[in-house]
Amino acid sequence: MERTALAVCEILKYLIIHWRCEAEISKGALLEGQLVISIEALNSKHQPDVLHCVTTIASVRNICGSLVLKNFLKEIQSILHRFSAKLTWTSEKSSYSRDISGITPFKLTFEINEKPRTLMKDCLFIKHFLHKIIIVHHKVRVTLSVKVNGFLSTESFGVENEPTLNLSNGIAIVVNCRHYVRLKFSTAESHCSRIHPVLGHPVRLLIPEDVAGMDLLGDLIMIPAAALCPSPKIFSSQLNRISSVSIFLYGPSGLPLMLSNEDQLSTSVFKDTFYFIDWKKYHLCAVPSVDLSLDKDWLLPDVSYQVESSERNQSQNMDLQGQTLLLFLFVDFYSGFPVQQMEIWGVHTLLTAHLSAILMESHSVVQDTIHSTLDKILEQNDQATKAHQKLQASLSVAVNSIMNVMTGSTRSGFRKTCFQALQAADTQEFETKLHKVFCDIIQHRFLHHCSCDVKQQLIPEKTDLAQSTEDAHEHSSPALLAEIWQAEHKRLKSCSFRQGEKRAFTASPGTEPPNTSPFPRVEEIPTTQDGAPALERGSPVSGQEDALWLQEVANLADWLNPGSGEGS
Amino acid sequence: MAFAPMGPEASFFEVLDRHRASLLAALNRGGQEPPEQGTHVASSSEVLASIENIIQDIVTSLARKEAPAFIIDNRSSWENTKFEDSVGLQMVSHCTTRKIRSDSPKSVKKFALILKILSMIYKLVQSNTYATKRDIYYTDSQLFGNQTIVDNIIDDISCMLKVPRRSLHILSTSKGLIAGNLRYVEEDGTRVSCACGASAIAVPSNVQGIRNLITDAKFLLIVEKDATFQRLLDDNFCNHMSPCIMVTGKGTPDLNTRLLVKKLWDLFHIPVFTLVDADPHGIEIMCIYKYGSLSMSFEAHNLTVPAARWLGLLPSDIKRLNIPKESLIPLTKQDQMKLDSILKRPYVTCQPFWRKEMEMMADTKVKAEIQALASLSSDYLSRVYLPNKLKFGGWI
Repeated sequence: MERTALAVCEILKYLIIHWRCEAEISKGALLEGQLVISIEALNSKHQPDVLHCVTTIASVRNICGSLVLKNFLKEIQSILHRFSAKLTWTSEKSSYSRDISGITPFKLTFEINEKPRTLMKDCLFIKHFLHKIIIVHHKVRVTLSVKVNGFLSTESFGVENEPTLNLSNGIAIVVNCRHYVRLKFSTAESHCSRIHPVLGHPVRLLIPEDVAGMDLLGDLIMIPAAALCPSPKIFSSQLNRISSVSIFLYGPSGLPLMLSNEDQLSTSVFKDTFYFIDWKKYHLCAVPSVDLSLDKDWLLPDVSYQVESSERNQSQNMDLQGQTLLLFLFVDFYSGFPVQQMEIWGVHTLLTAHLSAILMESHSVVQDTIHSTLDKILEQNDQATKAHQKLQASLSVAVNSIMNVMTGSTRSGFRKTCFQALQAADTQEFETKLHKVFCDIIQHRFLHHCSCDVKQQLIPEKTDLAQSTEDAHEHSSPALLAEIWQAEHKRLKSCSFRQGEKRAFTASPGTEPPNTSPFPRVEEIPTTQDGAPALERGSPVSGQEDALWLQEVANLADWLNPGSGEGS
Repeated sequence: MAFAPMGPEASFFEVLDRHRASLLAALNRGGQEPPEQGTHVASSSEVLASIENIIQDIVTSLARKEAPAFIIDNRSSWENTKFEDSVGLQMVSHCTTRKIRSDSPKSVKKFALILKILSMIYKLVQSNTYATKRDIYYTDSQLFGNQTIVDNIIDDISCMLKVPRRSLHILSTSKGLIAGNLRYVEEDGTRVSCACGASAIAVPSNVQGIRNLITDAKFLLIVEKDATFQRLLDDNFCNHMSPCIMVTGKGTPDLNTRLLVKKLWDLFHIPVFTLVDADPHGIEIMCIYKYGSLSMSFEAHNLTVPAARWLGLLPSDIKRLNIPKESLIPLTKQDQMKLDSILKRPYVTCQPFWRKEMEMMADTKVKAEIQALASLSSDYLSRVYLPNKLKFGGWI
């Protein structure tokens, strides 16, 4: 990372930390505002092949409140001690050049000379840094404008109306798949458009004595979250395989811990792919990935592994899009006291320099929480694969059996009626249509609910760390909700057996009578203690949609517990 | 008959003969045989047409974009059975049902397996060949998982189509044995004599196909366990008590053994006695012969012999014969639960003596195997116990 990128990223980090402290953001509230970064570069008049760059960082409204010019400049310059350029700050009080867009409350400018190639690389770094920020601060909007010798390029960073997963401390992960991988066109039908992260339990991090160097008011904790991307639909017609792992590291205030530059941070601990994750346990084999190209539209991971199955022959799946296992590691304060701005900054500095040492000191608990998180997410994946195989096998048996009777029958009337029903001209066409229509109907019953473009909210599972009572009352994990739903569904099912119908064969029409559908009605969706769906408040639509995802999870559980083998 | 073994004197069977006369009188009082319900012997074309209709319904529902499902009677529910003294446990006409859906993750496999077995039955019936349940399981043991799944589906299909298993061209492997005064001709013309020797004859796999049954037997003794059956053969019981027939289902009886017992009763109306252990399991087995099982209640009229009587070992015999305590076994918790459940069954209300015996077992909290009689003397069962019971009417 070169000077411009370094300066922009550090200033942004400083601003966001200050912004959060200034706004006294309570737990659960999200940072909201808009920033503008503009880089204007012109060929230097003094040096050949060098661009004179004027970088401006501004906010649309006053997000910095009591930021004192003198202190700010002092602190930011101490942070950027190797940065020689002069910083110019324009505050609302000191500037009267308010333009029509209103971009004046905060404005910081610096000028620097960069080579064109370096500037291009810097812009990519800034872009990825912004992308990483808006993934967890989805109410923050940033506009990045780069004007080189009169050619303007503008990109906006922000996620509007996208589903998010709320964490604690005002952090939310955006769960739209497009941020994490490039989806192949063929994947769209069989995979959900969003990821479904599973949260692990928070663990306390031990700070090695030799790297502590400062008094922390509270402990540091780490919360993992894992998801598969793209997330397979429960009855996907494609088998799923994990082809890569992307690890994202975040520090307090939801700020990226590293800037995709290995020089910045000691990440040696992740070079050993087995250090925290026993891949053999999951029948996988992971090797560090060398492809960390910045030239991608999706989020660049801080650590990346390539993964191969150690068991299955993948040759037949080469055409299919492999899944990426996303692992977010959030490090934050665990303290009952308000954290001061400089302390957050200090922890960021500490983590940036000594993350490996800290994680190694806490190896056992970190490994445990990562494993338990991966267990959950990979178990779901494994279940989905098994469910898919079971469905395919059953459909195949059913179709073959029907065909055996069809081809063996000597009653022309029977054959004719069957052909007419499926509008088939001959046996071959009948078989093809039969298989297709069977697949379509049965898979459709499970797939069509999986449009999850809504917000969702999860919290970590119960742990030995005390959680606030309020949180515990207001949220429920999806697994728990699924469990509650299943219990409720079983109760309803037990009531629905008394049908007394005396027909050997029936069809399940699209509109089910009450209590006979395998799917929960909206009124069956589990609610939290106060009766509202355990989803983001004020979003009834999202409540229904997310409950449908929970239903998918519940259906998945059904697949693995065949019980008596009967449906209701 | 080349040689007819000498049995006891005619006077020995006086009580038995009176019992038989009373059974015949009861039958006459009841008029005709009970009307047949449940399954009926279906012709091959009827079975084929039934299966084709099911397939046609599935295709039609798929064409309507509806997920097909089977609706099957709940065979294993007490709520779906009624008790009739003359038939035993019978399925009620309007019973509760289960829905085997093709679009439910829980039941899609069962749905497919029902179709698979239906298609196999279709082929068997069409080609007029027969297969055992075991044969069907082994056509794709991996797919079916275990034999019980196949057995249940076959019974479900039999119940769904309202035809006996035989009409589906599915045979059950016979494990039962028969010995004594009985001759018959098998479907393929083989002449069989069950005259007592050192070994018994296996119950035929096609009971419905046997014909020309001839017997002079005074009674039919059902023996719960193979070991007791063999001991009685060794003791030449059949000849000593000649003319008689002995049958064992080797524990819980298979369909063919039950069909054979039923057939012998229907044809000859000879008294049927059961010799079972004095424990809840033995009583359960006796009830299956007499009143039928829950899961096969839809075919009760082909399988039950309500005229069967409990000859031994009665719990009251334990005290009466002063069987040593060392030969008795305490009832387990499972035994007690089983006993409680039998006591709650509808047919126990019309069997006050049975109830009394079972209550005695519950009170004493002990059970006894038939072999407990050997503690009195090694051949006590064949030489003393059974002859006395038969001679003096010691059945209930």
